[in-house]
Amino acid sequence: MTLRPSPLADTAPPHIRIDRLTFDYGGARPAVDALSFDIAKGEFIGLLGPSGCGKSTTLRMFAGLLAPTSGQIMIGGQDIVSRPPWERNLGLVFQSYALFPHMTVEQNVAFGLRLRKVSKEDQRARVAEALRAVRLESYGSRWPSELSGGQQQRVAIARAIVIEPEILLLDEPLSNLDARLRDEMRFEIRDIQTRTGITTLFVTHDQQEALTMCDRIAVMNAGRLEQIGTPTDVYDRAATPFVANFIGRANNLASRLSLVDGQPVLTCDGQTLPQPLPADVPENSATGNSVAAMVRPHAIRLRPPAPDQISGTVIRRVFVGSMIEIEIRLDGGQTLIAELRPNSPDAALAHLDARVTVDWLPSDMRLFAS
Amino acid sequence: MTRLLSILGRAYVIAIFGFIFLPMLIILVISFSADSYLSFPPSGWSLKWYSTVLGNATFMAGLKNSAIIALIVAVLSLLLGLPAAYALVRMEFPGRTLIRNLILAPLVLPAMMLGLGLLMVFTPAGLVATYPGLVLAHLVMTLPFSVRILQTTLSNLGTDLEEAAMTLGARPLQTFMQITLPRLMPGVIASSSIAAILSFDEIVLSLFIVGPRLQTLPVAIYRYVDERTDPMVAVLAVLLIAISLAIVLVVERSVGFAKAFGR
Repeated sequence: MTLRPSPLADTAPPHIRIDRLTFDYGGARPAVDALSFDIAKGEFIGLLGPSGCGKSTTLRMFAGLLAPTSGQIMIGGQDIVSRPPWERNLGLVFQSYALFPHMTVEQNVAFGLRLRKVSKEDQRARVAEALRAVRLESYGSRWPSELSGGQQQRVAIARAIVIEPEILLLDEPLSNLDARLRDEMRFEIRDIQTRTGITTLFVTHDQQEALTMCDRIAVMNAGRLEQIGTPTDVYDRAATPFVANFIGRANNLASRLSLVDGQPVLTCDGQTLPQPLPADVPENSATGNSVAAMVRPHAIRLRPPAPDQISGTVIRRVFVGSMIEIEIRLDGGQTLIAELRPNSPDAALAHLDARVTVDWLPSDMRLFAS
Repeated sequence: MTRLLSILGRAYVIAIFGFIFLPMLIILVISFSADSYLSFPPSGWSLKWYSTVLGNATFMAGLKNSAIIALIVAVLSLLLGLPAAYALVRMEFPGRTLIRNLILAPLVLPAMMLGLGLLMVFTPAGLVATYPGLVLAHLVMTLPFSVRILQTTLSNLGTDLEEAAMTLGARPLQTFMQITLPRLMPGVIASSSIAAILSFDEIVLSLFIVGPRLQTLPVAIYRYVDERTDPMVAVLAVLLIAISLAIVLVVERSVGFAKAFGR
């Protein structure tokens, strides 16, 4: 196996560094393919992607429950890949919570401390502190089966943070909770993390969770890292078409790049897209090349029909409460979804079968070479 | 129409149960007989046959042997069956599926054939009419059950709890003792109890391997019935049923049979 050069900066070691981490069980492609990124101390990182993208595999390699085919996981400059799970000092919160049903809440939380031979008094103090951190201080003597899903979740977090782990690993922790509780726990988990300052890796397939909770999001697809950045980065400045379409809704217009009077111009089936083009026209998109133009539905504005500008017919109009969602069939045959504010001038234009010209700010458009 | 069917259905079930349990009921009644021969209904009532059985040296020796063997078989079935079940559920190795599917095979073989085979091996080895010989023979019958039951319990357990324990710092042995084993208790009780019952009631294999020096209770009863029939036989049958029933109740109370056997 040939090692690709590491894409990571060669400076002082960060708190945690994943370097070309690969897991290949012999399928058509590696489940995790040369994954590399750094995590700073105290950071809350989301590992986001569709199911089968390799995010859970990555988490299990972190925890030592799977051995990587190659690559490194460095904590404080030391590779932990060869260490068994019980020597890694990581806190893992399972999707199923995995509380020990034959132990009380207190015994569950104390489990890791007991194995570390912490004295009885210190155990009691630290367990009490951890339970206070998850607001379950009066539940110590209960059995896991007597707790609600959200409470079990918090016990699982207390059990993981009480050992003061190098990193807290959360595996889809919200997916077994009902919708209302999920919103509550989202803030609860972020709040606990902020107070304890424990570096956290949060695996989820839910872009909403990732956007609202994380300092940075690593978007994975088919075993590869597509982009890592702040929620604003990945939402507004998607690096790849996959990221653009996975996070939030997106319209993708197949367009063609050409030069008019020395200026780059994009056309979609012969109609001109709003000008000027964003500064970062894909490097390798020579004139005549096809380009995918991505615009979010909420960025689209409607104008009265204008010649040569990109125009179409409203073919669907749905009122969804906070907004009106319309679908426009462009004259070239491609369709666009737009989200309009009710009672806005745009919405007034958008009655069924109306002809409209669509417009957006150049900064709201992302271009990808295709 | 539906009503008629449901009445017929119920009558059918009652008939089946009667077919199974009436003989036992008759035996129970006869065990309290005052007669000196088997007759139903008895002409008088007494407990004299119970005291006869308790005073019979052959039967008491057989009871003692059977109890000791059943206990050892139960323990060994667990100690040998648990690692086998663990390997079959948790480890990857070539031939795993084959062994999983063949694990119940000894139960399909005619017991007569097994008994003959065991006798031919045990005679030169000097194991006939010894405790080790009988224990080994009974293990052939009980191990498949034990492994199967423990396998089911283990796979229902999943791996999350064990993985959680390991990430919290538990070494494999600590994980097994503190997490896996306590969660396995229902399967442990069920498999040991069933091994004990099977061993205690076993007769076909035992017949090949017992001798004048050492015989089990079922073999003693079998030999006695061969020569004579009096209410003492009924008393012995009641004793056997009572002991098996007691063990079954233990299992039912702790886990439930359906759950212990799984799919």
